[in-house]
Amino acid sequence: MGEVILTMKDIDKSFPGVHALDHVDLEVRKGEVLALMGENGAGKSTLMKVLTGIYKKDSGTITYEGKEVEFKNTREAQDAGIVIVHQELNMLGHLTVAQNLFIGREFKKGIRIDDKKMNEEAKKLFDRLNVNIDPKETMSNLTVGKQQMCEIAKAVSFDAKVIIFDEPSAALTESEIEEMFKIIRDLKKKDIAMVYISHRMDEIKVITDRVTVMRDGTYVGTLITEECTKEDIINMMVGRVIYEDPKTESAVPKDAPVVLKVEHLNAGKMVQDVSFELRKGEILGFSGLMGAGRTETARALFGADPKEGGDIYVNGTKVTINTPQDAVDCGLGYLSEDRKRYGIVVQKTVAQNTSMAFMKNFMKGIFIDKKKEKDVAREYVDALATKTPSVEQLVVNLSGGNQQKVVVAKWLARNSDILIFDEPTRGIDVGAKNEIYKLMNKLVAEGKSIIMISSEMTEILRMSDRIVVMCEGKKTGELDIAEATQESIMNLATREIA
Amino acid sequence: MEKIKQNALVQKVGFNRIVLIFVLLLMYLMFGLLTGGAFFGFSRIANALNYAYFLGFLSLGVTFVIATGGIDFSIGPVMFCCALVSGYSLTMYGVPMVISLVMSVLIGVLFGTFNGYLVAYWNVPPFIVSMASMNIAKGIAAVFTKTQSVSWPQSSTEDGWYRNFVSVNGFPIGLIVFLLVAVVCAVVLNQTKWGRYILCLGSNEEAVRLSGVNVKRWKMLAYIICGTLVGIASIYFVAAYTTVQPGYGDQYNNEAIAGCVMGGTSMVGGLASISGTVIGVFIISLLQQGILALGFTKEYQYIITGLIVIAAVYADVSARRRKN
Repeated sequence: MGEVILTMKDIDKSFPGVHALDHVDLEVRKGEVLALMGENGAGKSTLMKVLTGIYKKDSGTITYEGKEVEFKNTREAQDAGIVIVHQELNMLGHLTVAQNLFIGREFKKGIRIDDKKMNEEAKKLFDRLNVNIDPKETMSNLTVGKQQMCEIAKAVSFDAKVIIFDEPSAALTESEIEEMFKIIRDLKKKDIAMVYISHRMDEIKVITDRVTVMRDGTYVGTLITEECTKEDIINMMVGRVIYEDPKTESAVPKDAPVVLKVEHLNAGKMVQDVSFELRKGEILGFSGLMGAGRTETARALFGADPKEGGDIYVNGTKVTINTPQDAVDCGLGYLSEDRKRYGIVVQKTVAQNTSMAFMKNFMKGIFIDKKKEKDVAREYVDALATKTPSVEQLVVNLSGGNQQKVVVAKWLARNSDILIFDEPTRGIDVGAKNEIYKLMNKLVAEGKSIIMISSEMTEILRMSDRIVVMCEGKKTGELDIAEATQESIMNLATREIA
Repeated sequence: MEKIKQNALVQKVGFNRIVLIFVLLLMYLMFGLLTGGAFFGFSRIANALNYAYFLGFLSLGVTFVIATGGIDFSIGPVMFCCALVSGYSLTMYGVPMVISLVMSVLIGVLFGTFNGYLVAYWNVPPFIVSMASMNIAKGIAAVFTKTQSVSWPQSSTEDGWYRNFVSVNGFPIGLIVFLLVAVVCAVVLNQTKWGRYILCLGSNEEAVRLSGVNVKRWKMLAYIICGTLVGIASIYFVAAYTTVQPGYGDQYNNEAIAGCVMGGTSMVGGLASISGTVIGVFIISLLQQGILALGFTKEYQYIITGLIVIAAVYADVSARRRKN
């Protein structure tokens, strides 16, 4: 094992009301990939932000290459060789690959930017990493996977000695992840130390050497990846065992009525002639790779984006849905994968978010009945076991899983019977994930019907009664849970379309 | 300091508002001492207030627009357009006083609707829309009045009763009306569906839209409320000054927006405080009076209000950054 390059010791950091980091230790060695794991809110990101100078630590020491350091900003950290590859890609779509790589430190010829030299340098960099990307290509033309490669290449180009990957695989397909792993293995050989933050257990097992686990702002422990099991890690993260059993057969009776029927839905390239049925009490899984058109299908169905054609029947009656308003009136509710942007109003309270879709039910004359609003919100906080000090708490202060529950409460308060869950557990920690699953099962048991879009195979196999698979904007197949396997789904999701 | 902030009463009133009230009192004292006491005295204050109500109404109006995350740079010129067109109709075409006053408000509503429609339904950025309608308002007023200034009737004349809206024999009717309207605004903003949606869409429009809410309608409504208050402001302007000249009015945009942002309404939308706006307006007009009392010209006051807007917005932006 390589020598230690970076040590964080006794790091302490408090925000008003939150003890975000409670004397946390971290040690990274040259040429290793260290997994940093923990539920959301465990303090992983905060720790990395303290390291790279975005936050100032309250106490503790950071030793890097034998010297104690304290970076004032990411720029200083970068110059010293510590670089973060972010989950969200920070790329300018209309510039070329090379221009993006060298942004802020362009090569110049006099006062003119020397694009030729930048292209050459970028080419050299990609060759070194064995990546096949044309530096002259416009960034927005690349797949998300290739863009991620560019981010990594950019990190390497700073002569990085420590690279931090913050959930790098969130938007990647399986093959893209494989490609990224190849690069990571290469970097290991070059003695670069890497910290890999991810929720995906399989990846941790494949790519990392050691696992450091955090929980609630504290350091729990470090394991050698080879010597531990998935359960060991999860137990350290949550302090309890989680079972992930796939469903073996559909819980929906064959004669359950069809509550939603979609025929020949069309909306641009991403939604081509999609048809499906949803039965009462069913969880219909939508599987497929990133960019398969699942979210686009849901948004078109919900009236969030314009559609070019298609018939929609709710409980057997043909309906017109042109706006989200129409959809809500038909009893549909949409829970977006991006809660912060599309689900909640973060600067408003839990109660205000709960009533938002059904304001007219909370009126007393022209005034808002705030008592009723709070009472109803409290009911749902109890029913969904939402963790919040009160219903008057601003939603911004809640964790991801609890924010998701507020969105669910909003639709339940609206009496929506058909709920579209788009990546319901993205960015949510393991414990909260299970609660969301329980909640979904409870909802269908009560007669609601759910469309669940998910990129996680385990989630699809565990929750769905039936599975619709999409690929490049088309529905490529439909499987009953009894016959669905990872292989059969992946087969449909990657099918070549003539 | 933290202890004070935790106090129940302080939390209820809002720490920022208490600070603002202190600023107001301090400024009053400071100007009072600098002018050797000439600044104190009830009649002096009451008189100064007479010239501040119109600004108050403008500020209340623009608070609704800013709450949606928008902006309206047309409020000052539109106010002048209201006063000029209805005043010209009154003096040149013999339109009765009551009708003229109603006209003033209606013109404000029309402009508000126009701005709101373009912003909400055509997705034209509010900055551009209000810049354009500022010029349209100026143009209409100038064409209509043939670029003549308009003098509304003096108190002594038969139609002079409209000036009672401001004060009767030194009794500040205007203050009462202004505070009443402010209370109505606060209720609308905090207790009704209108205000709820306006604030929510200012905070996250897409989330509100995906909740099945007709966001366009509520966004337009904010501009209409603003227009209505601009119309009322025009009445208070002429009741205080009687004379209006075409081609002006822009300087009040800055002052009205300054009062609003100083009171804690966030320029990025979603957060708005009517009581803050009220105090903010008082601070702005006190400053105005103070500067004049110290013997400086009006232009100095433009400089200072300009700087205040920047300072207040900067404070808001950096407070947000700290939170994140």
